[in-house]
Amino acid sequence: MSRELSDLYRSLARHADERTLVVPQELRRRADRRGRLRVTGVALGTALLLAGLVTGSGLVLAEERQPLPPPAALPPPSGAPAPTPATEPTATPRTPAGTPPRPTATPVATVGNAPVPPRTPATVPDRAFFAQAAENRTGMEPVFRDTAALPALCGARYRSDAGIVQRRTRHLAYRLPGTPTGYVPEGSYAHSITIYRPGRAADFLRELRAAVRGCPEQSGVAGGNATTERPRLLADGGLGDGSVLFEIRAPVRDIDGNPTGGEELRLVRAIRVGDVVTVLWEQGWEGTSATRSQVDADSRRAVAAIDAWLR
Amino acid sequence: MRDATSFDEFYRSTSRRMLRYGHAVTGDHGEAQDLVQEAYARAWRQWGRLAAHPTPEAWLRLVIARLATDRWRRLQRWRAALSRSGPPEPVPPPNEDAVLLAGALRRLPAAQRQALALHYLFDMSVQDIARETRVPDGTVKSWLSRGRARLATLLPDLPAAEELEANDVA
Repeated sequence: MSRELSDLYRSLARHADERTLVVPQELRRRADRRGRLRVTGVALGTALLLAGLVTGSGLVLAEERQPLPPPAALPPPSGAPAPTPATEPTATPRTPAGTPPRPTATPVATVGNAPVPPRTPATVPDRAFFAQAAENRTGMEPVFRDTAALPALCGARYRSDAGIVQRRTRHLAYRLPGTPTGYVPEGSYAHSITIYRPGRAADFLRELRAAVRGCPEQSGVAGGNATTERPRLLADGGLGDGSVLFEIRAPVRDIDGNPTGGEELRLVRAIRVGDVVTVLWEQGWEGTSATRSQVDADSRRAVAAIDAWLR
Repeated sequence: MRDATSFDEFYRSTSRRMLRYGHAVTGDHGEAQDLVQEAYARAWRQWGRLAAHPTPEAWLRLVIARLATDRWRRLQRWRAALSRSGPPEPVPPPNEDAVLLAGALRRLPAAQRQALALHYLFDMSVQDIARETRVPDGTVKSWLSRGRARLATLLPDLPAAEELEANDVA
């Protein structure tokens, strides 16, 4: 047997072992729930079809019309009944006025007097990722990739990573409003959504904030040349249940690696929504700098999509 | 009637292998996770019958391979678009064998990835793979041979394909 190829497969297996699947009880619960929804959908479709047939037949057979059976019962929406928070938030929520803060831990809901298990999402569906505004679309579809969700910050590691249930990351390019068709994109994002175990999402934001503060300067590589990056926290608020925004500035260099006098700006924003954190890491496009207003607009869209998913 | 205890035991005892297999046939961590969970969800939905299956693990592998093939076709369009004009590929960590192999596997046809994964992760013989995938032995040999030849060209540090074929396809 080819020893080298075997070694590569062993490495791949070790790599795969770093991932975890949901516990079997959770997997069964989700499979059953989907099965019920499918049956309900079929029943509802059949009821609608029958209703249509009966209604249509009624036009010519009015005397034979019978009362329609009630439609199949739909399961209550996942957000109802109103959940009762079981724990206090672990971080001070910074939500817009009038928006109730979400607890950090997933709440325990009750139906009548009987408690039902907390609804913690186990996987991140495609619909959790925001759809770009029409004026920002480039014609290139976002691509999901197993890639870094955050830039390196002086080698910082996050203990909260141990509380990750699932993370998905995609790359998407954007153009700024008003850019003529056919122009190259103005920038791109690594956009991730991570589900944490209850309470760990707020931990992650704290750790990220500390990591940025602890890394005023670091060495990097840009365009094949060594460069110096300067991360810095920026004031942020009003998004989700808490957010961290920081910039990374680095001198622009020419092809020989000499500074041209300009600066390249990257913006990274992490936003917590309950036990979920989404990160928008603006990565530019062939040396462009991030545009704050665009990152803000896409951040709001990202939060709205997660809200709709978790609702 | 489905027995949750036996399913949970089956899940715990096989999920790690299945995740490795999913990774090898998709070439992507996240996709593997989704596919494997979907396959187990299907297994649970028909666990009443599947529990009596002589080889439920083989059944699961087949489901994963089929799901991977379906998803692969859809992903090809996105990847083609990205390779033409997308952002630059993130640089993998140096000496990351798994990343290199996953990247190369993504450029192989699904059947070759499946055969190679069964061979290298489960130590299955050509005959075993043929039985599981319900194709003639010669087809499996061809998949293995072509798959390794292609990997040898994509991963320059590997020995040439002829050397790869010498011992372990028989």
